[in-house]
Amino acid sequence: MTAMTLTQSFVTALLQIVVLALFVFVAVPVIVFAERKVIGYVQLRLGYTRIAGGLHGVTGGLNRLMWWMGKLPFFSILRGFPSFIADGIKLFTKEDIVPEKADWWVFHFAPAISVVAAFTVLGIVSFSPAPLWTWPAAVPIVGGLPFAGVISDVNVGLLMLVGVASVGVYGIVLGGWASNSKYPLLGGLRSAAQIVSYEVPLTFSLLVPVVLSGTLNFTQMSQYLSGAPIQTSAGPAQMPALAILPLFIGFFIYLTCGFAETNRVPFDLPEAETELVAGFHTEYTGMKFGLFYLAEYANMIIVAAVAAAFFLGGHHFLPFGLQRFIPPSVPVVGGASFGWFLLWMALILFSYLWVRATLPRYRYDQLMHVGWKWLIPLSLANLCLAALVRYFA
Amino acid sequence: MASFLRTLIPLDIYGGMKLTGKYFGKVLREANRARIRTHVVCEYPEVPVKLQPRFRGRLTLLKDEQGEIKCICCLACEKICPTQVITIEKGKKEGRKLPYPVRYDFEMERCIFCEFCVESCGFDSIILNHQFELAAYNREDFSIGMEGRFQNMFELSPVARYSVAEEAQR
Repeated sequence: MTAMTLTQSFVTALLQIVVLALFVFVAVPVIVFAERKVIGYVQLRLGYTRIAGGLHGVTGGLNRLMWWMGKLPFFSILRGFPSFIADGIKLFTKEDIVPEKADWWVFHFAPAISVVAAFTVLGIVSFSPAPLWTWPAAVPIVGGLPFAGVISDVNVGLLMLVGVASVGVYGIVLGGWASNSKYPLLGGLRSAAQIVSYEVPLTFSLLVPVVLSGTLNFTQMSQYLSGAPIQTSAGPAQMPALAILPLFIGFFIYLTCGFAETNRVPFDLPEAETELVAGFHTEYTGMKFGLFYLAEYANMIIVAAVAAAFFLGGHHFLPFGLQRFIPPSVPVVGGASFGWFLLWMALILFSYLWVRATLPRYRYDQLMHVGWKWLIPLSLANLCLAALVRYFA
Repeated sequence: MASFLRTLIPLDIYGGMKLTGKYFGKVLREANRARIRTHVVCEYPEVPVKLQPRFRGRLTLLKDEQGEIKCICCLACEKICPTQVITIEKGKKEGRKLPYPVRYDFEMERCIFCEFCVESCGFDSIILNHQFELAAYNREDFSIGMEGRFQNMFELSPVARYSVAEEAQR
């Protein structure tokens, strides 16, 4: 492959960004839909099958469509999905209210900070090991060039991810502060305390695969988890059999902290309705609220992607390095592909909804208790275990 | 040590997740089949509701096989009614030996649906039927009676007539 010119690399990256943004904009309504349905099914309900409104106009058409879908064998499970159109219309057309005493600039920037932090992180996640497709030669600038599954395969990917993702908390804190109202302020402060506390065990548990493999790169980590030998700056590494133990414990610590990082149940203290109205986005309306919403779900996608890449085998079928027992010559499950990564992401996202439907919210002191007295010592012990495995095996 | 291990290994969370996962799988498989239903939802405006047999809805006079009203105006229901919503006027009808209610008025706005009237009736001539769509736009619509009143007790309630059911079936 000849080296790309500056224009070519620029256009390729731009196209990748557009595709990634479209992916997020498609994935978020799907997650919202799945969330309502999963919680409904768990509670022996059907989830939502209609939207507010009558039988006339846009809402009426959607209601009739969903009623018709209910009679079909497969589509009856998807009933309710067309209502994301109504959700979108509502978010975009609602009146955008800015409180009179709010800090105008900060109030408008806070949702943007959240969204930008979330989307930036997605840029370094390696979704596919091989290029997704090659542009045909007829395409003007990028003809003949591959369309890679990752926008920029940074060699310190994890470091950048942890760094940029924690900027997202500024959006929440500043949004809460700029609203000039007591409930958003309390919600923002809670969120800051919670995210700062849980960042520590989260990073410790992410260090486990890093210590084992000696790489921070998404693609190399995926190769390592498949049992293949990799060459890193810290020397060659191949996964020992015992490495499954710290990876397994680390995965559950990571998932717990991931729930707390994205302010999801059972750690959704910043949005505790019974205490804080709606938390930091109480004063936000219209699309600015929509951006916070989007950032929350994009963060969920990031946590799922990182869990998939660093614990669950990345682009491979079996998690925790069990992939080594399947030789790469086996047709589908042996190889690395885009589909397995999406599958693992989907499973993690499902576990988010499953946990939300099952567990009640923690009290604030319990939250801090769990974070500081249990998860941090546990993740440190796990890290030591990983270091021992790395040293002796 | 035991409590330490119990906190360290969250078995109760595992149990809860197992339970909810079981229900999720069940409902996902059976959610949209007509016969086996795990879910407890009734899609009310489109699909008629199945009520419990002892549901207490609107008061109705019963008729026998010949289409004659069974009530013989013993006034037991009128006497026992705690809110006095029943008014009966005794009368005669051609070809009927027993007394016939010329008027049987039922003021639903004050009714507490206690079913004392039905229990007191010695001739099984009234029931509280299964109609529950009892809202109305006018106060007059709550005074229910036999033919000639604003709302006929032998017909559907006004709201039930405007139910979405038929429209959604299209």
